Amino acid sequence: MIQNRQIPNVYPFPLFGDSKRNPEGVNSLEDNRGSAGFGKRVKIMVVDDESLIAETVVEILRDEGFDAISVSSGASAVELAKILRPAVVLSDVMMPGLNGIETGIKIREIVPNCKIILFSGQAATGNLLEDARRRGHSFDILAKPIKPEHLVNIIRAGLPSQ
Amino acid sequence: MNMLVSGGALLLASVAFFASDLVTFRTNLVTNTSIQAQIIGSNSVSPLIFNDAKSAEITLSALRASQHITYAGIYSASGDFLAGYWRDHASQPPHLPPLDTVKSELVNFGNGEFSLARAIVFQGKEVGFVLIRSDLGAVNDRLRSYGIILLTILGASLVAALTLSRISQSSISKPILALADTAKLVSQQKDYSVRIPVPPDRDEVAVLVDEFNEMLTEIQNRDTALQAREEEFRTLANSIHQMAWMGDPEGNLTWYNQRWYDYTGTTPEQMAGWGWQQVHDSQKLLEVLSKWREALAKGEIFEMIFPLRGADGNFRQFLTRAVPIRDAQGQVVRWFGTNTDITEQLRSEENLRQTEKLAATGRLAASIAHEINNPLESVTNLIYLARKQPANSERYLRLADDELDRIAQITKNTLGFYRDSASPAKVNISEILREVLFLYSRKIEFKRITLICDSGNEIEIVAYPGEIRQIFANLIANAIDALPEAGVLRIRASNACRWEIITERGVRITFLDNGTGILPSDRQKIFKPFYTTKKDTGTGLGLWLVHGLVEKHHGTLQVRSSVEPGKTWTAFSVFLPERALTN
Repeated sequence: MIQNRQIPNVYPFPLFGDSKRNPEGVNSLEDNRGSAGFGKRVKIMVVDDESLIAETVVEILRDEGFDAISVSSGASAVELAKILRPAVVLSDVMMPGLNGIETGIKIREIVPNCKIILFSGQAATGNLLEDARRRGHSFDILAKPIKPEHLVNIIRAGLPSQ
Repeated sequence: MNMLVSGGALLLASVAFFASDLVTFRTNLVTNTSIQAQIIGSNSVSPLIFNDAKSAEITLSALRASQHITYAGIYSASGDFLAGYWRDHASQPPHLPPLDTVKSELVNFGNGEFSLARAIVFQGKEVGFVLIRSDLGAVNDRLRSYGIILLTILGASLVAALTLSRISQSSISKPILALADTAKLVSQQKDYSVRIPVPPDRDEVAVLVDEFNEMLTEIQNRDTALQAREEEFRTLANSIHQMAWMGDPEGNLTWYNQRWYDYTGTTPEQMAGWGWQQVHDSQKLLEVLSKWREALAKGEIFEMIFPLRGADGNFRQFLTRAVPIRDAQGQVVRWFGTNTDITEQLRSEENLRQTEKLAATGRLAASIAHEINNPLESVTNLIYLARKQPANSERYLRLADDELDRIAQITKNTLGFYRDSASPAKVNISEILREVLFLYSRKIEFKRITLICDSGNEIEIVAYPGEIRQIFANLIANAIDALPEAGVLRIRASNACRWEIITERGVRITFLDNGTGILPSDRQKIFKPFYTTKKDTGTGLGLWLVHGLVEKHHGTLQVRSSVEPGKTWTAFSVFLPERALTN
């Protein structure tokens, strides 16, 4: 029978166990990369309640030289955005609690020039996007699965496209 | 006749009166004669004592004044004749009748005369007798005069009666006879337009005739109104889209509207009584007959859907409703029925059901896409990383493999929804519940819903598996939609009996959520098609479909709910009989 899986808001451990757990639950692989720190490179926040997706995307983006961290819920993302002030937020749409669109709207209020890129596994997000558009918030959305090269290109271009 | 009776009565009364008068008259006659006899007696004492016939004769001659006395004589105590008086001429004196000593007087009637003998008493001793004879001329005179009076009265009465009867005939009998004739005419020919001429005299008969005419007018008005109503009814009955009919309490159908004859292509003669059976489907007729007889016996509303053959030979489905019409005493006096063609409705309902199935499939497809796209995203990323980081490739590929297993699991579970078997099969309820819940597991997690599922392992019924899956999927999806973040969904499946029929075994599955609850005003409507409380996302067909599917399985679907603030919950309970679909 189905177990009610308790999904932590922020993953306490990095996917590959080679990074330290920090008290805020933010997964950072800085020491591994030997980089100068989060603030020096383009800061990207990846939000997805599916841990494996968030972790692998973070891994790919770091490989490409971005300073990426994964967050597992919209609410945590909004809280962290206040401290980290990311340049780009890549977020899933259908998440428990605050969905990706609401998260994007809230982060835009905190970091006005933050690039919000949504990605979703289902087409049923149309209503949510339409609703947001009516309230004056438009977002670009990418469909899962998305080729990592394509994702990197979009972020690099600094202009999200379909 | 009347005259005969009244004449007879008059005659009888007169005769009685005259007889009584005659008796009185006769008594008076005797009394008078007796007094005369006494007077003569007391005047004859001395002639008797001295045997003086001459003075006795003088005394007797005083009787000449009484013209009816024919003879009077004085006799000695020994009965010897002393002196006599004759009215006409003297003759042999009659013998004294034997007088006993006690009675001093003897009266005799006979031969048109009467005689009176009386003893003459002097100083307490009988010294002689007096005998007086009188004809009955006085009585006869009286009788004659009576007769004349009687005849006069009778004659006068008859004349009066005849006159009166002639008058009454014209003023009473004639109008009443006319009244009777008219009443007969009206009741035989049902012609309420005739009127009786009112007699000129404003008497009681005229009032009666007037009233009768007024009554006829009233009946005529009602009759006209009734005919108009009847006409209206027929127009209405023929203009409605339904077929309509009427029958007597025994169920013999006596009337059909035109639409019935138009549709069935039959004639009133063919349809009379129980003739309607010939337009029924022989497969269904027995059921129809038994239900119809049951309704007739119980006097309850009859309602049934059955096919009727049209004039073109094709059957169409009709919803038939028959209502008993009762009199003031509650007795069924007739049946009124309608047949409504619901072929198109049934067809569009079936289309709707298919549409909802398609819509459900679409929703499922979207949900499955999400379920599959997420692991696909992971797999894509993991393969990319494995290529990029050969040192970690083993770990990445293992993770990718796990995700592929997850995809395989999803597709395997999803297939059950499309294996729409054409015939009922043994279905494991717990297994289907597990499969459906798996499909919704992401939604359940997404809302952090606590799921408590309590179902035995081996609950099996005979059913259409695809449809049972649809029932569960709809009810679970509704519960998830109604639940708030971190709500609780409890599902319980167990062997049970039908609430109404304890002997019928089956399975009861209850879906209880502590979501928003359903308003009492919505509880009946939620099973109607297109009724939805989910403004944008619902088609309003889910519960309608569930209801239909449960009915198809001869099961029951019940909903209980509370909207009490802080204690809201909803429970949908499905009972599915174990082997209702076995055959």
